[in-house]
Amino acid sequence: MEQKTAFEIQELTSDEYVLSMGPQHPATHGVLRILLRMDGEVVVNLQPDPGYIHSSIEKICENRKYDQVMPYTDRMDYLSAVSYNLAYALAVEKLMGLEVPNRGRHIRVILAEMNRIMSHLLWFAAYGIDMGALTPIWYAFRERENLITLIEMQTGNRLTHHALRIGGVKNDLPTGFVEGLNKFLENFNDMVDEYEALFIDNVIFKARTKSIGVLKKENAISYGVTGPNLRASGCDIDLRKLAPYSGYENFSFEVCSEKNGDSWDRCKIRMNEMRQSASILRQAIDTLPEGEISAKAPKIIKPTPGGCYAKVEGPRGEVGAYVVSAGTDKPYRVKFRSPSFSNLSALNEMCAGVKIADLVAIMGSLDIVIPEIDR
Amino acid sequence: MENGEEMELIRELLYNSGEPLSEFYRWLHKAWAGFSVPPVFLDLMIQFAVAAAVFGFVAVNALWIIYYERKFSAKLQIRIGPNRVGPLGLLQTVADTVKLLIKEDINPSKVDRVVFILAPGIVFLGTFLTMLVIPFGNGLIAADLSIGILYILAVSGLAVIGLLAGGWASNNKYSLMGGMRSAAQIVAYEIPVLVVILGIVMLAGTMKMGGIVEAQAGYRWFVIYQPIAFLIFLIAANAEINRAPFDLPEAESELVSGFITEYSGMKFAFFFLAEYTNLFIVSAVAVTLFLGGWEGPFFPPFVWFIIKTYAVVTVLMWMRWTFPRIRVDHLMQFSWKYLLPIALVNLLVTAIVIKFI
Amino acid sequence: MFKYAADIIKGVLSLCEGLGVTLKHFFRKPFTLRYPDVRPEIPLRFRGRLVLPVDPDKGAHRCTACMMCVKACPNRSIEIEKETGEDGKPKPRAAKYYYNLGTCIFCNMCVESCPFAAIVMSDEYELAVYDRETLMQELTAENLRLDGAKGAWWKSKFREETAAGKGEASNG
Repeated sequence: MEQKTAFEIQELTSDEYVLSMGPQHPATHGVLRILLRMDGEVVVNLQPDPGYIHSSIEKICENRKYDQVMPYTDRMDYLSAVSYNLAYALAVEKLMGLEVPNRGRHIRVILAEMNRIMSHLLWFAAYGIDMGALTPIWYAFRERENLITLIEMQTGNRLTHHALRIGGVKNDLPTGFVEGLNKFLENFNDMVDEYEALFIDNVIFKARTKSIGVLKKENAISYGVTGPNLRASGCDIDLRKLAPYSGYENFSFEVCSEKNGDSWDRCKIRMNEMRQSASILRQAIDTLPEGEISAKAPKIIKPTPGGCYAKVEGPRGEVGAYVVSAGTDKPYRVKFRSPSFSNLSALNEMCAGVKIADLVAIMGSLDIVIPEIDR
Repeated sequence: MENGEEMELIRELLYNSGEPLSEFYRWLHKAWAGFSVPPVFLDLMIQFAVAAAVFGFVAVNALWIIYYERKFSAKLQIRIGPNRVGPLGLLQTVADTVKLLIKEDINPSKVDRVVFILAPGIVFLGTFLTMLVIPFGNGLIAADLSIGILYILAVSGLAVIGLLAGGWASNNKYSLMGGMRSAAQIVAYEIPVLVVILGIVMLAGTMKMGGIVEAQAGYRWFVIYQPIAFLIFLIAANAEINRAPFDLPEAESELVSGFITEYSGMKFAFFFLAEYTNLFIVSAVAVTLFLGGWEGPFFPPFVWFIIKTYAVVTVLMWMRWTFPRIRVDHLMQFSWKYLLPIALVNLLVTAIVIKFI
Repeated sequence: MFKYAADIIKGVLSLCEGLGVTLKHFFRKPFTLRYPDVRPEIPLRFRGRLVLPVDPDKGAHRCTACMMCVKACPNRSIEIEKETGEDGKPKPRAAKYYYNLGTCIFCNMCVESCPFAAIVMSDEYELAVYDRETLMQELTAENLRLDGAKGAWWKSKFREETAAGKGEASNG
């Protein structure tokens, strides 16, 4: 289907009408607006209209010192703040040639994987609401609360952690953290099984997601879709395996992938990824090395002039940070690549001729975060 | 002894309310004859009193059932539920109702005003009228019509008009979609319900609500003879009252709030009242048709009827808080491809068995 | 016909599985807190409102108006006025410590930059106010005494520091 602009979408045939979904709509997960061209209950065409919470973070970063940029990166993807922290930190460290100590890298992996589980749990909860099941959210939030409490112990904040610093992490793991995480991981897999029994394997849910919103492999690649959404289309690309960073090469885990690229596959992948993340966490706790947590970074960070791109595998896909230094204490330009933006752009491809209920199901299965799209 | 007589009277009232009530009615008429006013007025007054009693029951019951649902869902969702207003949060729904009643009554500028205001009334009227033929106990029924069950089917159809009118008058695309969905849904699910009830009527040999219960006396409840019919009735009736997993007309995540998107305050309260009363009615009808109505040991009939009804209500709530919402075309398919054929086969088998045994 | 029946049975089974999960949770204990009555346990590192506590050893706050926090703050939420002595020259001591709660992003950078452990992020998390003026806070006027676990933690930082003679406080 060819992409139509918001203006063209207004030229309707006599059977059609335009439905403005959002910016205040329960299913758009924030302030996203989608213009729908509808024929009865069937979506003919759609046009996402992002930008309602544009917060100008990239521009703000140009006026902040290198270390002051870090708390702002938390606020793009507030569901997994560490992935943006990590991308930015890796980029600056590469520019400066800093080597992060082993223990620091380990703690980064632990925090990143905890964030991944937290984000996927929140996706599960919100997807339940999207599909009209009001109970999954409580069960998912129970597990998420455990993780958040642990992260709060470690970093001091619940969502916008500001956990990483250039050169390492801020804090060493507090006492009781490892025990708490072990206790959480003990029955986490059972909980995931429970979620599947309650929701993912439900016959109504399957009927609503199987072979709905199919994204073909070629389309997924050409739209720049990444993360679980790409892996659901039969393309097992995971940056943690493909271009390991922060010591991911030391952990053994599987890259989950499915073939059909429909909504159900995307769900299944996220459920499996939670299990894989739990396994990475177990390994990380068992092999936690001793030593420094942070490299000795200079007080005033002034990287040599040049640019550097670093990418990490966030819960939603490839999170990238491109940092250009002009040799001053402030970055000349910081550009973030947000996976949700690319994932959202493929929405039109998946929604040709689906019902409005399916549109909600597809959009939920893409797991988009609006502040990340608008930045 | 006088005390013994009183006890006898109370027992009679509790267990066989029909006789004492009609006695009381005759006594009233006799007393009325003393005045020189036509007895029509007395009948009118009695009818008003009965209607007021039913309305009072509807309101109080809805308050309680909403509280119950909130507590029950909280338990399923490992949380506490309302616990602030009154002991155990018992007055929470009362507080919410008061809030709704004193809220500004908003009529959006582009609505079809008359229809917009009428719609909640129509929806509530359908519900209220159904309530009149629910047999709460032996003789404890506002009007035991000889076509009771047919009357329920007919009157509950009124609600569709209200929902559709509300959706149309709101002048909102989401509302209109909700109204259309509800019309399609209720029409589709009325038919399996009808077919299933037909089987029961064949078994009972009467359409009178009291008669159906009496036909099940001696614990020969129809759920034993018609288990599949019972399931179909529960599912289809659940769909008819627009509750999850069949809450498509409201479908929060798709249609914002469907036909009630533009409603607030008192009008919203009426929709809400109707919704929860419908839940009670559906359960009450299920109890009357399948679970032996007011019959049961030890307790008076009224108590048994309420216990059974709330058991069915609980099952419906349990379903609501577990399942995801069904999609609109699957909903139609489910009715026409699964429920209706099975209900028809069930009816056929019932008819053959009744004929030859 | 066979597939029709199998579909129904499979569907009903999956629904029953879901009902079983919710039923299991029906008998579990609630995991929510009755919030205003029961309060969550706040970890030591929690970053709440910025405070300038009174050092019990000195009987006054520890700020020397070195402006490190002002420079470290990413969005200029802190302003300090120095005390002026009788000779009219500024003294190394904060007379006024303005903290804008409205723009603070609770990143902890000011606390990390403070060489004297003068400021700390407290346990306070109910920070909503009724008007914007209240968001601009003057911290020296509060004369806040930091007690409890957080206070002990804070005091250990500079007491240890004076004992060991370290140049930089280790905040965390």
